[in-house]
Amino acid sequence: MIIVIGAGPAGLAAAEAASRNGTDVALIDAAPRKGGQYWRHQISVKGYRSNRAGILFAKIENASSVTHISEATVWSIEKEDQLFRVNYLQGGQESSLTAEKLILATGAYDRSLPFPGWDKPGSMTPGAAQALLKGHGVLAGKKVVVAGTGPFLFPVATGLAEAGAEIVGLYDAHSPLRWALSPHAVLLNPSKFLELIYYARLLKRFSVTPQFKRAVSSFSEGSATISRVNSRLALVSNRDKSHQVDVVAAGWGFLPDLSLGGIVGCVQRVDTDGTAIFSVDDAQRSSVENVWIAGEATGIGGADLSLIEGEIAGLSASGQGVSPVLRLNRMRKQIFANALKRSYPIRDGWQSWSEETTTICRCEEVKMGEIRESVTELGAEDSRTAKLFTRAGMGLCQGRICSRNVSEIVAGLTHCAVTDGERIASSNRPIANPISLGLLGDGKK
Amino acid sequence: MTREILFTFNGAEFTCAPGQSIAAALIASDTRELRTTRFGSEPRSIFCGIGICYDCVVVVDGVANQRSCLIEAKQGMKVESTQ
Repeated sequence: MIIVIGAGPAGLAAAEAASRNGTDVALIDAAPRKGGQYWRHQISVKGYRSNRAGILFAKIENASSVTHISEATVWSIEKEDQLFRVNYLQGGQESSLTAEKLILATGAYDRSLPFPGWDKPGSMTPGAAQALLKGHGVLAGKKVVVAGTGPFLFPVATGLAEAGAEIVGLYDAHSPLRWALSPHAVLLNPSKFLELIYYARLLKRFSVTPQFKRAVSSFSEGSATISRVNSRLALVSNRDKSHQVDVVAAGWGFLPDLSLGGIVGCVQRVDTDGTAIFSVDDAQRSSVENVWIAGEATGIGGADLSLIEGEIAGLSASGQGVSPVLRLNRMRKQIFANALKRSYPIRDGWQSWSEETTTICRCEEVKMGEIRESVTELGAEDSRTAKLFTRAGMGLCQGRICSRNVSEIVAGLTHCAVTDGERIASSNRPIANPISLGLLGDGKK
Repeated sequence: MTREILFTFNGAEFTCAPGQSIAAALIASDTRELRTTRFGSEPRSIFCGIGICYDCVVVVDGVANQRSCLIEAKQGMKVESTQ
């Protein structure tokens, strides 16, 4: 049997591919419905080329060898002889499942950058606004600013506008002209640009025109300040515009969740954009025998790449051949993924948006001033020490939101670069999700 | 959309559709503030929306630190702000 963790595009494609020769697959996911953050299993998925989701959902539902275990949060994985024991929480109960092979497709979440007011109600990630709308049919607010960087902002703004929100501004910190740096990626992936044009035309119907080289630099009392930024993301001029809004949805690309592969011991490396990811071979095999990894955790690349990586992982794990065409397609999407990183880089200029009182670690309420002080007054020379002094990154989210930002702030203050070791260390957690000691004690072993 | 689920949040009654998360149901009813923080007593709401950030945690039927963005509101559920 193969356990696939994550039922987004990569996990669904892996489960479907593995089931083609009748291999038993258990597909475990934390959400009630299949589709992951990208599709969220709506009855009718809207958006560009959304029919792909329906076809994949139907194939999985018709595959008798695939069992979908929903609303199950995996919190640890143990290796027992030749088996992997996957421990999960489902409906407040601890359960586990064992299999010889694992496919990890744990996806990614929005990367956030701090600015004054990003911790106020109304400030959220574009993913949160999208999840509320697509997953629950709820508009996050009536007047919305969508900001940050990357092509994901377009479908988010489109979805909100179609659902009746007033998009008072759509701001990307980078100019689309940066794609000129990667002409080969554009030529090899024309459909990605047709997709952007598709959303831009939809937005025009709602009189939304994207503006570039701008970012939300503060949010207070419902007022979002929009400032011009340069390519380093540093403020060029302050307070050039402000909007009265209900919601600021700001997102800066995505961070993969490495927790589970880290627990199993899969070797990681640092991607060209500084993101810690897993090393995998040509068949999506990790460094640990019988563990395959597919999707965003092997490098942020979007749903198209995830689908191909998932299919390759599923075929390889179930002992089926992988066609050269599939590998070639993966290469084409990887070229696009690399161009994406080059077009929308997150450079350190964002650190200038914060004031001394700006929250950096949301869980432990650690302010920018405290992190500065840990370096300048207390002598912290690396982010680990700064975190020990301030408790930044030690709250319930275990640093998922702030630890990369804290590392980069400390590196800036100490005039060092963040080391690869530090990037990998801050992306790993001893347990994947908080579990109460009571539940742990009651767990059946 | 039918709003047949009835639950309480800090004593007040709310209705929502089956399948909606606690956070989604509250935001749909214009209740954004889900809790206040331990040290600064700052109001907090949904942030990541997908169970990563733990900013939207509430007490559900007496169990603390439950992510309101993930947990579906159920009939008769008693939800309270973490203080």
